Amino acid sequence: MAALANSTASDSSSTCVLQLLNMIVPDDLNDDDEYEDIKDDVREECEKFGPIVDLKIPRQTRTNQNPSGVGKIFVRFENPESCSKALKALAGRKFADRTVVTTFFPEENYEVEAF
Amino acid sequence: ADGARKRKRKNRWAAAEDNHVANLINLPTSISGSMTPEQIEAYVLNLRIEEISQKLRINDVVPKDGERSPSPPPQYDGNGKRVNTREYRYRKKLEDERHKLIEKAMKTIPDFKPPADYRRPLKTQE
Repeated sequence: MAALANSTASDSSSTCVLQLLNMIVPDDLNDDDEYEDIKDDVREECEKFGPIVDLKIPRQTRTNQNPSGVGKIFVRFENPESCSKALKALAGRKFADRTVVTTFFPEENYEVEAF
Repeated sequence: ADGARKRKRKNRWAAAEDNHVANLINLPTSISGSMTPEQIEAYVLNLRIEEISQKLRINDVVPKDGERSPSPPPQYDGNGKRVNTREYRYRKKLEDERHKLIEKAMKTIPDFKPPADYRRPLKTQE
């Protein structure tokens, strides 16, 4: 499995959307202040690699009790170069005592929130 | 869960050099190959299990100042020794998380093998 993760596929897989994994658990998102805190932390750090369009951190809401992608973080950059920089730089960092795992995410799935 | 959580804004990021655990588990943290969403999920699940196992092994269980939640009231054993020490609480928390993740991995990842130093908790706790 590790070999699979490492097999650098052609750069055709790079997109404008960065997927950040293993950073949060659903319970971290229940408190509104903490949720905004996390969003700010992620935005501020990602902006260091280039302009970002927006970001999405799925969580349970009153209207949607079971959204997909809870526990994942998605950041859309203006261009794939910035996204690629962030992907390399943030991998292996620590976020609230958890190791950050990064991967590209398809833009069309991001648009329709098919997390 | 923690009633009065009015934590001051504290940046949750730390440098990669400070991530001793990631350096020890030595698993790729940037997934650049073409894995399916299911494979990615399984990969991250396994990585978190390894991460927790490594934390427990090197006793890196207590978060840094400012990342800790408020301590509960102390509990003492019959000899007046505190039982719910900080280290005990955080170790227990990680063991519980790892247990849940291993149960999930055994159901979802074919040929998954729990870490050698993992012991299933005895039932009838809580």
